[in-house]
Amino acid sequence: MSGAIGGTIIKLQNVSRIYDTGRIQVPALLDVNMRVTSGEFVAIVGPSGSGKSTMMNILGCLDRPSEGRYILDGQAVDELDDDGLARIRSRSIGFVFQSYNLLPRTSALENVAAPLMYQGVPRKERLQRAERALERLGLADRLHHEPSELSGGQQQRVGIARALVTEPALILADEPTGNLDSHSGAEVLELFHDLNALGRTIVLITHDVEVAAAADRAVHLRDGRLQDAVPA
Amino acid sequence: MKPRDLVRLALSRLSTGKLRTALTMLGVIIGVASVVALVSVAQGATKGISDRLQSLGTNLLTVNPGFSRTSGGGATRGAFGSATTLTLDDATAIGKLDGVAATAPQLTTNKLVIAGTLNETARIVGTTPGYLQVYAYDMWTGSFLSGASVDHNLRVAVIGSTTATNLSLDASSIGATIYIGGLPFQLTGILQAKGGTSTQDDQVLIPLSTAHELFVGSNSVSTIGVSAVSPDQIDVVSAEITTTLEQRHGIASGGVDDFSISNQAQLLGTVSSVSDVLTFLLAGIASISLLVGGIGIMNIMLVSVRERTREIGIRKAIGARGRDILAQFLVEALALSLAGGLIGIALGMVADFAIGTYAGWGFVFNPATPLVAVAFSLIVGIVFGVWPASQAARLDPVVALRYE
Ligand SMILES: Nc1ncnc2c1ncn2[C@@H]1O[C@H](COP(=O)(O)OP(=O)(O)O)[C@@H](O)[C@H]1O
Ligand SMILES: [Mg+2]
Repeated sequence: MSGAIGGTIIKLQNVSRIYDTGRIQVPALLDVNMRVTSGEFVAIVGPSGSGKSTMMNILGCLDRPSEGRYILDGQAVDELDDDGLARIRSRSIGFVFQSYNLLPRTSALENVAAPLMYQGVPRKERLQRAERALERLGLADRLHHEPSELSGGQQQRVGIARALVTEPALILADEPTGNLDSHSGAEVLELFHDLNALGRTIVLITHDVEVAAAADRAVHLRDGRLQDAVPA
Repeated sequence: MKPRDLVRLALSRLSTGKLRTALTMLGVIIGVASVVALVSVAQGATKGISDRLQSLGTNLLTVNPGFSRTSGGGATRGAFGSATTLTLDDATAIGKLDGVAATAPQLTTNKLVIAGTLNETARIVGTTPGYLQVYAYDMWTGSFLSGASVDHNLRVAVIGSTTATNLSLDASSIGATIYIGGLPFQLTGILQAKGGTSTQDDQVLIPLSTAHELFVGSNSVSTIGVSAVSPDQIDVVSAEITTTLEQRHGIASGGVDDFSISNQAQLLGTVSSVSDVLTFLLAGIASISLLVGGIGIMNIMLVSVRERTREIGIRKAIGARGRDILAQFLVEALALSLAGGLIGIALGMVADFAIGTYAGWGFVFNPATPLVAVAFSLIVGIVFGVWPASQAARLDPVVALRYE
């Protein structure tokens, strides 16, 4: 984990993302400025279609801004090629998805170990680290279960273990409670809270203001614009 | 990614869909098995023919009446009614040349042979004692045609082992009477089998003079077999025979000969060039099925990339680069084609063994064949795997993650 607590980890400068559908251009993000400090727990809130997923893709280095700069942990991301983005995703970012996105027909242990494989970590060490991550999330007795054999809450905890195993600078969660019942949802939010307390930077994306309340701070998106932007 | 991780991923993927894996491999299995089996069959058949030619003796020259040919023409060629430019005297003259170990002038016809209650139509060869040496036969029992039997037109016969079996004749039959073309002959010997499915073991040998007297009224011969003292004398002896026969037949040196000389080396050369063509032809046909197998792999890989779009998106999100995804799918295709290739080789060798045993040339194993087949199936895997794999590698992670 890099980025000393208190330093800037995310810096968006006049970031726009305009989808070119051929006939028309859809502006999904417009002139967004935002700064996230290392160790913060920030929620990005907005109604459906406001540009939250677009934001998450850019923050997660799955996509590039059409305009503007994105500086993650001191690195100007918009200048990187595809392999460079992959390296950032591998080293600095842990994703948690609404639909868990675990590898099918693959055990919890192998799922959590997978990101380490792309870092070139030897298999034995991978499995040890994955096992520890799963133990920390209370899944020590589910190591060899496949996703189809786990409940939604358990699958999401495997997903969180996978996001944590590489010790990334930033954890990005897109509607992580969206598919969960309220009890499991509350548990997941509790987990994020604990992780944040241990110093993790967390960006949580949600349309649900109540969920956003779990974060230290919420920024609001509407029609691709940030409502109460923290000046960069 | 490390190669071991790639192999582990590929194997675990292939073992989760066993039926699909098996069906996908089937094309390559059949392709490789047929390449291995057909190439071996071609080589086995060639070996069978070569062995048979070798068993005739590598010192053998064959003189036939008629115009020169560049190749072909065998010891058993010629029959009554074909060109009759060669005579017994020609054979005698050849027998006196340096470097000639033995000669076997022959006159061949087919006649009904009767022994007791059994009969068959057999090839009747009128020849001289030199036949045994020229064609490298051994006696199984009794004795071969003697010089005296030829000098005195005796009605004696020596038969091949197959003929003996067909007519139910054995060692106890020596001295018995058999009927050839309705005329009585005394059986003096039975030849040792040459083996294989050869027709060389199904014939009846009688003195040449007797054949002339009873079956054709001239002193022409249809073939003269000549044995050189050693294989390296073949060319010298061949030239001597040409000179002698041209002299005897009044043909100017360099004129158009009324005879032709062929030797085993030429025949072997012809056989091996024919068999090369045959091998390439069969391998070519078999390669087509390998190609079809490769297309099968490509088809399945394309379907697989589509089905696993989301998995590809997930892998990219957790840090896979394009080349990691490319390698993963390529190694899967390679594992499919290589496993198919190895099973194909095993099946091909079983087929090869079965055919070789049945056809009598035994198990012909050429270590190059499986090596080439494995190389070929790897190439198939790469060629037909690379496109689907690069499709997978190029997927946009955002699009892939949204894919349902
Ligand atoms: N790939 C795309 N091509 C075109 N338009 C898109 C694409 N992705 C998203 N959009 C549009 O951009 C806007 C924001 O979408 P999105 O970021 O998915 O919002 P949210 O996640 O807040 O629901 C929407 O109007 C959506 O239709
Ligand atoms: Mg969304």
